[in-house]
Amino acid sequence: MNLFIRGVETLSRACGVFAALCLAAASFVVCHMVLVRYAFGIATIWQTEFVTFAVVAATLIGSPYVLLTRGHVTVDLLPHYLSEKPRHRLALLASICAWLACAVLAWTGWSFFYEAWTEGWATESVWGPPLWIPLLALPVGLGVLTLQYTVDIFKLVTGRPLEHRPTNPSNGSKI
Amino acid sequence: MSPLVIGLFIAITTVVVLASGIPVAFGLVAVALGFLAIFDGIESLTISGELFFSGLADFTLVSIPMFIAMGAAVAASPAGGDLYGALDRWLHRVPGGLAISNLGACAIFAALSGSSPATCAAIGKMGIPEMRKRGYPAELATGSIAAGGTLGILIPPSVTMIVYGISTGTSIGRLFIAGILPGIMLTALFSAWSMFHAWKDGFQAGQERQEFNLRQKLEQAARVLPFLLIVAGILFVLYGGVATPSEAAGVGAMLCVLMVAVIYRMWSPRKLWRILSSSTRESVMIMMIIGAAALFSYMLSNLFITQSVAASIAALEINRWLLLAMINLFLLVAGFFLPPVAVILMAAPILMPIVLQAGFDPYWFAVVLTINMEIGLITPPVGLNLYVIDGIAPDVGLPKILRGALPYVLLMVLGIVLLCFFPQIATWLPDLVFG
Repeated sequence: MNLFIRGVETLSRACGVFAALCLAAASFVVCHMVLVRYAFGIATIWQTEFVTFAVVAATLIGSPYVLLTRGHVTVDLLPHYLSEKPRHRLALLASICAWLACAVLAWTGWSFFYEAWTEGWATESVWGPPLWIPLLALPVGLGVLTLQYTVDIFKLVTGRPLEHRPTNPSNGSKI
Repeated sequence: MSPLVIGLFIAITTVVVLASGIPVAFGLVAVALGFLAIFDGIESLTISGELFFSGLADFTLVSIPMFIAMGAAVAASPAGGDLYGALDRWLHRVPGGLAISNLGACAIFAALSGSSPATCAAIGKMGIPEMRKRGYPAELATGSIAAGGTLGILIPPSVTMIVYGISTGTSIGRLFIAGILPGIMLTALFSAWSMFHAWKDGFQAGQERQEFNLRQKLEQAARVLPFLLIVAGILFVLYGGVATPSEAAGVGAMLCVLMVAVIYRMWSPRKLWRILSSSTRESVMIMMIIGAAALFSYMLSNLFITQSVAASIAALEINRWLLLAMINLFLLVAGFFLPPVAVILMAAPILMPIVLQAGFDPYWFAVVLTINMEIGLITPPVGLNLYVIDGIAPDVGLPKILRGALPYVLLMVLGIVLLCFFPQIATWLPDLVFG
């Protein structure tokens, strides 16, 4: 089981790095697009779509890493008023609920991806890349997210501590 | 079961599920999937993956991670400290001058970042210890920064305005402009109160302070000037319709990272990586809520909740100002519990037809809505800014921070009242620019 936990957490971290690289790529491509379009007056073909899909991929694939580092914003209203034991039970219940939600999304995301893959769908733009490439982020990101939730639930059941988010105030910038 | 009754069930379930401490994004997905499965059959879930994806795949949304990266770059640098230091050298003779400098720095920083807690952290890190060192009461020091930080989502660029623009189909450039004057109004109200508070406590700032000559006054300002020029550039291209928000934000983010690297010598890969990873964490968190909200609002409209609520409120034919008061109260309560992005995404599609039918301006309403959300950021139980301040000055304690923030809450309510009597505060500038 320890191997499973370590494996999933490493996978989540790798996902985080990939998401960060996607965002970096997106910002470079946006700049490139602006330069090409406004400075040289050349029509852009692939940039808009690439940037949109890169941000979607960063979001979906980055989500297990953000879960691992406790970065998803929560409203801890009920846990605040509960004593230790019911709070633990509520945390478990909430995690199972979230696991279910993620698992359904991962599964339906997989079938959407699979359909695009087998039917050979492409996007409707001039560039028209195969749609399965951006859609791959659905099963991968949400699949790892479901795995990360499995680890969280396992840790809650066995009473192991969950990883805490880094407490740097300049990073605590939620909207 | 009538859609209104189902709607009530959904509202109660959502509140309970979200209050359990489940991440907001997954809580919204769970509620949406649950109600779809119950009322539309389990097979209706098959398109949920597709809906989540298409909720995210929108080029305008690209502006959100870009504006976040822009704010993260500036927040990681000492620019916040420079900003308020520069203002302090100009304002140190005024009673409560340092508090006003901090508020001004918050307002300007808000223009560099679309996020409120980020603004709070960037200015508060330097500002709060400095104010307390110079003898300002702890309530004033912490409360003013908590309140000043909320300006982040009102003064452009603002992530919540982008989300509002996308979910209501309004122009983001116009929304940004609509936030400028109300932002300045709130800054002025906050400053006036801080001055009064300092004066009432018999606190004379700057008595033992040295004088600054013009050169010293300009020196620190020069370092923050490039950032202000970037923001001015972004607003200019947006208003001119030259570029889309995503393009402006992408270039702005890149320029801000370059400026931070050059001016503050932060070019080690380690520091740049830290900026990238903190913006990734924050954008993923917000974008997941956006995807989840897409699913949630699909569920609402699929079960005819959105349409029925709007129709039955219209059928009530109540006075438009009473209606507005009720909407404000609803937003205020929702804002107490939920992050602004989630409130806007869930409420805007329902409220927009009602507000338009009552004859209110959608851009004016965006400003009123945003100020409501700002109040939620400095009130318990989920006032994010309060926790950021608590992290910066742990010895003050939340009750004192809260007491310090309370007058500013009242000032924001006053701001909303002023906007109701003088809607031109929000509509004049956009009308002037866009006609």
